[in-house]
Amino acid sequence: MNPKTREDTAKFAEMVANKQGWVVNPDTNFTTMLLDGLTTNWNRYGYYLCPCRDSDGSREADAAIICPCKYSFGDIERYGHCYCALYLSKTFAQSGKSPEAIPDRRYEE
Amino acid sequence: MILESVQYTEVPGQRDNHAITVYALSTCGFCKRALAFLNDHNFAYRYIYVDQIPLETKNEIKEALKNKFKVNIAFPFAVIDDTKYLVGFIEADWKKELGVN
Repeated sequence: MNPKTREDTAKFAEMVANKQGWVVNPDTNFTTMLLDGLTTNWNRYGYYLCPCRDSDGSREADAAIICPCKYSFGDIERYGHCYCALYLSKTFAQSGKSPEAIPDRRYEE
Repeated sequence: MILESVQYTEVPGQRDNHAITVYALSTCGFCKRALAFLNDHNFAYRYIYVDQIPLETKNEIKEALKNKFKVNIAFPFAVIDDTKYLVGFIEADWKKELGVN
């Protein structure tokens, strides 16, 4: 499998955001860290594991936390951004607010 | 005990009134922000990127922290003075806990 680059991952994130009606976090420094993290995870695991969650060791075990994670839809609706803050709702992005840590709903099930 | 036997990276700092250990992911933006916060405020601390160690060791660390603090472990996870914890990076909470004005 060819390794992914940050540019590959940026295209992926834009595609996801466009499809879902979200925006990629406009905080370039922060987003670059996340894109690098996602790229590392792809090249490490073979899938885009959420950069802010740790792997349980297999694609099956990690299925709910592969980007865009299962919880991103609800989190963006509730908090205006997903858990790692790569994706924001358009409303949140326009507010100019900075995302902060939110609870990991993986543990609420 | 696993929490004392793993290899941490020690970061020196002038502000050493708290013993701070941070469990972090090298891929996570909030973890990076948390470490930058400690650096910016001159805290001495130690940290470990748990995504860069064997899965079994990481799971042992998570289990030990969970048993100690009775909480689900997410990152960054900071242990303060061996008795308190901060989970996730919310700057106001870290400031309050660490006495930053």
